Amino acid sequence: MRTVNGNLIKPIILGSIAGIVAGLFGVGGGVIVVPGLVLWLGLVQRRASGTSAAAIVPTSAAAMASFGLSGSVDWRVAGLILIGSVVGAWIGAWLAHRLNERVLAIAFSILLLVAGVRMVL
Amino acid sequence: MLEVAGFIGLGLIAAAFAASMGIGGGIIFVPTLVVIFGFDQHLAQGTSLAVVFPTVIVATIAHARLKNVEWRLSIPIGLAGVVGALVGSRIALQLDADLLRRMFGTFLALLAVRMMWRAWKLKDRSEPEPGPS
Repeated sequence: MRTVNGNLIKPIILGSIAGIVAGLFGVGGGVIVVPGLVLWLGLVQRRASGTSAAAIVPTSAAAMASFGLSGSVDWRVAGLILIGSVVGAWIGAWLAHRLNERVLAIAFSILLLVAGVRMVL
Repeated sequence: MLEVAGFIGLGLIAAAFAASMGIGGGIIFVPTLVVIFGFDQHLAQGTSLAVVFPTVIVATIAHARLKNVEWRLSIPIGLAGVVGALVGSRIALQLDADLLRRMFGTFLALLAVRMMWRAWKLKDRSEPEPGPS
C-alpha cells in the first residue's frame, strides 16, 4: 500500500474543499474526502473511509456550530436520529471491513442519484 | 409516535450505510428529512450536521480499532475542513432555501454519476493487486 509522508499540501487542499461542501450542504464532507483519498492520495477504500471519518469530526463540528447559532438545528429530531445512528455506525464499520467495495459503491451511488433527482425536480 | 420511530429508523439505516462508506450520513439525512419529513432545506442541513458530528466520532473509534485511520492525513484534512466549513456554512445560511435544495440535489446527482463510474473501474484496478491493504 502506498503511504504519504510529509506532504501537507494535498491534505490541506482536500480538507478545504471538503469543508466548504460540508458547510454549504450540511454533510460531513466524506463524499469529497473519500474519493480524494482514493484517487489523489492512493489509499484503498476501507482505509480512506476510516481516515475520512476522523477528518470529519472537526469539520462537522464547525459546520454544526454555524447552523446551530443561526437556529437551523432541530435538536430533538437530531437526538432521535442519533439514537439509531449510534447503533448503525457500528454496524456500518463492521460491514466496511467485510463487504465488496464495488458492490458497496454501486449500491450507494444508485441511492444518491434517486434522491438527487427528486430534490432538483 | 410513528414519527419518532421513523427518525430513529432513519438514523439506524443511514448510519449503517454511511459508516461503511466512511462518510457522516448527511448525504442521506438531508434528502430524507426534506423529501420524506418535509423539513426546510436549512433546518434539514443543520439537523443533519448535529447527527453527523457525534456519529463520525463513533465511526472513527470503530475504524481506528480496525487500524483503518491514517492520522497523518486525517488531522490536516480536518483542520483545513474547519476553515472551509465556516466559509461554506456562512454562504449556505444566506441562500434561499429553494435554491439551496436544488443545488443540493444537483450536487447529489453529479456525485452519484461519478461514483458509479468509479465503481465500474474499481474491479479492473483491484484484481491484479492481491497484496496486503
